[in-house]
Amino acid sequence: MIDTIEKEDPVISEEEAAQYDRQIRLWGLDAQKRLRGSRVLLAGLGGLGAEVAKNLILAGVKGLTLLDHEQVSEESCRAQFLVPVTAQGQNRAKASLERAQNLNPMVEVHADPDRVEDKPDDFFLQFDAVCLIGCSRDLMVRVDQLCSQRNIKVFCGDVYGYYGYMFCNLGQEHNYVEEKLKVVKPTRDSNDGPEAKKAKVDLNETTMVKKTASFCTLKEALEVDWTSEKAKAGLKRTPVDYFLLHGNEKCQFIKQVKKYKCFSVIYVILDSKPLAGFFCVENSFAGIRPMSPPSTKFHGHGHAAFA
Amino acid sequence: MAISHGYIELADSLSSCKVLVVGAGGIGCELLKNLVLTGFKNIEVIDLDTIDVSNLNRQFLFQKKHVGKSKAQVAKESALQFCPSANITAYHDSIMNDVFFFFLTEYKTPFVPVAARNHVNRMCLAADIPLIESGTAGYLGQVTVIKKGMTECYECQPKPTQKTFPGCTIRNTPSEPIHCIVWAKYLFNQLFGEEDADQEVSPDTADPEAAWKPEDTAARATASEKDGDIKRVSTKDWARSTGFDAVKLFNKLFKDDIMYLLTMDKLWKKRKAPTPLDWQQLEDSARPQEETPGSGLKDQQVLGVWGYCQLFQHSVETLSSHLQEKGEGAELVWDKDDPPAMDFVTAAANLRMHIFSMNMKSRFDVKSMAGNIIPAIATTNAVIAGLIVLEGLKILAGEVETCRTIFLNKCPNLRKKLLVPCVLDPPSANCYVCASKPEVTVKFNVHKTTVLALQDRILKERFGMVAPDVQIEDGKGTILISSEEGETEANNHKFLSDFGIRNGSRLQVDDFLQDYTLLVNVLHTEELEHDVEFEVVGEAPDKAPTPPSNQEEANSITNGNKDSAQPSTSSKAEDDSDDVMIVDSDEEEAASSATAKPAPSSGTKRKHSDAETGETSTKRPRTTQQSSAAADNDDDDDIIALD
Repeated sequence: MIDTIEKEDPVISEEEAAQYDRQIRLWGLDAQKRLRGSRVLLAGLGGLGAEVAKNLILAGVKGLTLLDHEQVSEESCRAQFLVPVTAQGQNRAKASLERAQNLNPMVEVHADPDRVEDKPDDFFLQFDAVCLIGCSRDLMVRVDQLCSQRNIKVFCGDVYGYYGYMFCNLGQEHNYVEEKLKVVKPTRDSNDGPEAKKAKVDLNETTMVKKTASFCTLKEALEVDWTSEKAKAGLKRTPVDYFLLHGNEKCQFIKQVKKYKCFSVIYVILDSKPLAGFFCVENSFAGIRPMSPPSTKFHGHGHAAFA
Repeated sequence: MAISHGYIELADSLSSCKVLVVGAGGIGCELLKNLVLTGFKNIEVIDLDTIDVSNLNRQFLFQKKHVGKSKAQVAKESALQFCPSANITAYHDSIMNDVFFFFLTEYKTPFVPVAARNHVNRMCLAADIPLIESGTAGYLGQVTVIKKGMTECYECQPKPTQKTFPGCTIRNTPSEPIHCIVWAKYLFNQLFGEEDADQEVSPDTADPEAAWKPEDTAARATASEKDGDIKRVSTKDWARSTGFDAVKLFNKLFKDDIMYLLTMDKLWKKRKAPTPLDWQQLEDSARPQEETPGSGLKDQQVLGVWGYCQLFQHSVETLSSHLQEKGEGAELVWDKDDPPAMDFVTAAANLRMHIFSMNMKSRFDVKSMAGNIIPAIATTNAVIAGLIVLEGLKILAGEVETCRTIFLNKCPNLRKKLLVPCVLDPPSANCYVCASKPEVTVKFNVHKTTVLALQDRILKERFGMVAPDVQIEDGKGTILISSEEGETEANNHKFLSDFGIRNGSRLQVDDFLQDYTLLVNVLHTEELEHDVEFEVVGEAPDKAPTPPSNQEEANSITNGNKDSAQPSTSSKAEDDSDDVMIVDSDEEEAASSATAKPAPSSGTKRKHSDAETGETSTKRPRTTQQSSAAADNDDDDDIIALD
């Protein structure tokens, strides 16, 4: 995919330079070129999907395909801002198209009313990145398997009230560059100023350092054996959202919420047995970590706010 | 939003409460969308700015066709599209306008992402309205809650002020590109804009470093006056007399003035001396510029010296003809988005950089520094706007004690957290704004400080007042300054000592608009640093905050002061810590010069050459014992995992 991107037109137009100026100054021209050479699939146009669509379109990707088989309901209009209040009954992807396109006419936005599950493998292969929002676990595992092998980036996510998750698989060998400030060694003949007597960070010059990262597949992530010692040790630093994802179809996942001072406790019930209890600190996704469940005598009333 | 029964009351509060959003820019657009979708019904939005094409990458309520129109107005119209039943009022105006004092008293929770923070801070304290304050820059962002009596106010912590450069660094011994850029902007004003005594570009003969003996300085000063009388005539008048001849101008600035600097040999004992340029020589030896058919932006190319000579000449011609067109007594205002103005600064700064042995910079980079551009993207603003609403909901639910300051980092920290919440600090007892009887001590020379300087530089600029009334505590209640127009104007150019003000005097300063009274203790001194007009006792203006040692990662965040003459980029150059700047994304677009916004300064003599200003603040993440203890309790619990 990287090769394809580089074959794209390297010249940025005046219009693009003006519109993307503030982001080019952040992530650089190369990154902007890659964005504008990439085609992205976005499946699921609920509240979260609309936000992702907006962000990708504003960033200036080459093309974005909005895929959603659902119909616009009364609630859809309140959940997201791309669907007009008059569009009830229409397909959600198609109803979102006009406003999505208006966000940035330089992006090719398409709407597809099909079910994501019905799409054949090669449908996904035409994209550089795929975002699956609110999709079933099986679908996500299938697409993740299919795409990551071909260096197509995969992102999955969903929200549940105040909580949510995002999973990404950028491949086994994801290459990237990191911009680092140059450390200026003290030299007599420094060209950047006559007073470079000591080594210091030069805010004016940066250097790009090449790096590689390796991501696991969704299947691997979901199949972790949490009873193993190693996994247990890592449990404290594992976000609860992971377990929400895990149990998403089988469990009545938010059974009870009890307020304890400023913390909320969620019990994830998997097949009627408590899986684990989780501390959620604030609503700011700040620190969510596992704790042991209370005694079986506990009764509580629960509140849960769902989007 | 679907709401379960426990939150019905909250839902009712949402639809009845009134919200004020200050700023319809990066954060403002996202926030407006969030408020409307969350169910807020009564929203007022204010922004004095108009839409620019560079806003469109993130201020998504605006489209290309809206460029030039009022941000507040268009934001309102776009938001109404997806929630026609919301009641939104837009004001294309400044928050400093006192009309707003009345509106603020009606509101329960203003969400405020914007500049003029000091003023808004005081208004909210005066009206006891919770204030949610936020800012973003690049990938970084921050949200905090200010509640009178419960938390620190915006001004409780002394803010590290914008780094300013001494006159002699700008005029005589620049060592960094930024010094040359500031010089070039001063030059623009001297030639085409509003001349300012604090923006001299010619060699500074009074440079204390230059003289071997003190008496020499005086001798040099007199000698230079005989040097073609250039110093006696204003730069603009001189330039006009030559018909804005670019070559003559070039030779004066880049040859003659540099040769003059070379005579101040002490300056060059330990520094590399500058090398003067000669127009004719450069023209004769010019080679055609090799065109690098760049895949880069045209602006990102760095030209050769002759290229900048030509750019200099071309921009001088364009600017001088604009000036002529405007007529007698006209002035141009520097604007980074005005091509000849930007060309001029690029050329002049680069020529100077070359003279002082620095690597030259592309127009793209010069524009960043000269225009104080803060890079900005949609997603950072989206995250922050989401957090603002969450904090707001806590306030409305009556749970202010659960509110936090939240930092958005670029990368996850050691605990794999991207968002770091910190408990809010209680008000500072010494705060000169929210303490019960605010008091401050200011050091200056009573014989040399005028009443006008006290009002404008100290009270308005430094202490953020808008309309101060000053009374001398001399037993007679002498009124020194009245906020009513015309009443005390006769006093403006008199010195403070003329009114009997001396060491130990006390001034009572009131700003009724802000419901703010400040007692100023006068400390007379004859020994202030070169270029410093006054000093506030008890603060260290140019020091960056040291990161707290009990944090896993040094995470000091400061809000950048947007004054264009002293851009924020170099202030943290020497720091090893991870100090970063956070500035509200709205601020960079506030280019209107109609309103003077307060900006804290270290008291150096300078004038804002345009009105892009902002505030500085230091917030350190403080995870107190309380919250970390609660987290620690978990570590002891057993985890039961079922297969």
